[in-house]
Amino acid sequence: MFSWYGLTLVDYVVVAVGMAAAMFGVYWLLRRFGVGRETSTGYALILPWLIGLVVWTVGPFLASLYLSFTEYAPIQKGWPTWIGLDNYVEMFTEDRRFWRVLRFTLGYSVINVPLGLIGALLTATLLNQDVKAIGVWRTLYYLPAVLPAAATALLFRWMLASNGLLNDMLSPIYNLIDVDRPSWFTDPEMVLPAYIIMGLWGVFGANTVILLAGLKNIPRDLYDAAKIDGAGRWSMYWNVTIPMLSGTLFYVLIIGIIGSLQTFTQAFFIQHTARAGTFMNVYIYQEAFERNNMGYASALGWVMLVIILLFTLLVFRSSSAWVYYEGERAK
Amino acid sequence: MITNDTPSSSAPTMTTLAASAPVSSGSSGGRRWDSLIVRVIIYALLLAGVAVVMIPFLWMISTSLKNASDLFVFPPEWIPNPIQWNNYPDAWNALPFDRFLLNTLFTTILAMFAEIVSAAIVAYGFARFRFPGRDVLFIILLSTMMLPGILTLIPKFIMWRELGRIDTFTPLTVGAWFAWGPSFIFLLRQFFMTIPREIEEAATIDGANVVQTFSQIMLPLVKPALLAIAVLSFQGNWNNFEGALIYLNTLEKYPMVLGLQFFGASLSREAPQWHLMMAMATMMAAPILLLFFFAQRYFIEGLTVGAVKG
Repeated sequence: MFSWYGLTLVDYVVVAVGMAAAMFGVYWLLRRFGVGRETSTGYALILPWLIGLVVWTVGPFLASLYLSFTEYAPIQKGWPTWIGLDNYVEMFTEDRRFWRVLRFTLGYSVINVPLGLIGALLTATLLNQDVKAIGVWRTLYYLPAVLPAAATALLFRWMLASNGLLNDMLSPIYNLIDVDRPSWFTDPEMVLPAYIIMGLWGVFGANTVILLAGLKNIPRDLYDAAKIDGAGRWSMYWNVTIPMLSGTLFYVLIIGIIGSLQTFTQAFFIQHTARAGTFMNVYIYQEAFERNNMGYASALGWVMLVIILLFTLLVFRSSSAWVYYEGERAK
Repeated sequence: MITNDTPSSSAPTMTTLAASAPVSSGSSGGRRWDSLIVRVIIYALLLAGVAVVMIPFLWMISTSLKNASDLFVFPPEWIPNPIQWNNYPDAWNALPFDRFLLNTLFTTILAMFAEIVSAAIVAYGFARFRFPGRDVLFIILLSTMMLPGILTLIPKFIMWRELGRIDTFTPLTVGAWFAWGPSFIFLLRQFFMTIPREIEEAATIDGANVVQTFSQIMLPLVKPALLAIAVLSFQGNWNNFEGALIYLNTLEKYPMVLGLQFFGASLSREAPQWHLMMAMATMMAAPILLLFFFAQRYFIEGLTVGAVKG
């Protein structure tokens, strides 16, 4: 009965011992071939990651590229069959669900990330105004980020039910403008706004804490210098705070884009109406593991990768215009 | 308390600088009123923000203690009457949550340990040793953070299947030996780089080898960073839904998060038992919340070091 724990324990120990042996082996081999001590030690130490990179990242990466050009249903047929670009053609011409999913995923990120960033920047700025008991405020703001995504999702499914708390609280407004209570996650029109509300609640606190740390990191003498030059409060904010914080803003933006484009867990707990579309990662999961189309799912994964790369490149490209680096770090 | 902000919270900020400006000497009374109003507005806004943040939390706990018949009372009732403590054991016993907890602890502890050890070793290698290709490899490491996990998931699933490890805990734990968390390596490397080289040189002169220097001198010095990683890793593995969903099929092998999903999707599909679901969600979140209250400093350190020092 407990053999499944035992099996994993054995696997775990075998891999650990094997890894240690491989590290010593690499060191010994390199030394034998006359490589210097420092170089050999360095390679031996990064070996776990290096093996992981090849086995768990580069290998699967190339395999999924290959699979994206095949039809692969591992439950019925053992091997993938090469079908060229058919998966991609199907995706862009026939699969209407794909466009809905893409619009949903992009719509979520495009609204959620900037709102979360601006809101967090405002809150962090307020918290940086010599506020008393800063630790307490920070704890309170950070709490949503600590709640497991699963719990957050269930909680919002409940709060945003048609007879849930949000509608109860907003019901005076609904009565005033004479509209019915929306049933957020079951009304295709309202699913995206509902997810955005939930997403904002979740990321807002983490972003606030990161930006606050960035604000606290700005050297005080810069403000003193600006004061001597006669800068006002707003001018200091725009000309000192924002440029000095731009590196942190950049980080939060990149992490936010990558994270929000890959939203996954929440959808499984909320089970919103399928007519609204869903997140790309959920769609990929469904194709791969529920409909057994692993080839098509891999093609979808590659489109997802390209989208993420495009967004990050865009931000990176634009960063030279708005991210300020101190002298020695300029490239 | 968080140590980082002690120096800066006592230092003057923008507002106080502006308020104490010599320019305002002519109308100092008005200035003081201005700044008082500004203070009040700041605290009011912050309080409003805290309300938005806390209301869902309190609602979760309130719901978890309600009678099923009181769930949809309008206007909403914040303090349940009577308080249904029974919801917690009821929810716990609706599914084999004892087993789910054991499974979660098993995978979380194994994955966490391997993740921390391997990340520390690799980070030390990147931080302290010069070897050809190091900088290129480190850039590759950073760029793997951008890869969508879903892309490599299908080939990984096929690999684990070929190894006969589907529906076991192995895919969720053993992979951690390969330093699968690039952000942890990055964070630890930043810490290792702040340690003066003289310390290691002294150890080498005393005849310590790399293994001894690393485990007896360097690791104790980066203990805060290790703890920061430990809490983040605990959180990540405790909540790991995607991996559990894909690799585990048997109910008895579910971790808590998958049990919670099963509970929400099957047991209360027709008539959602929100009180039990909220009790379950609270119990699942409780260890993380407790950890956060006691080790807050490390959460925040882990969260911010990449952003601020990077």
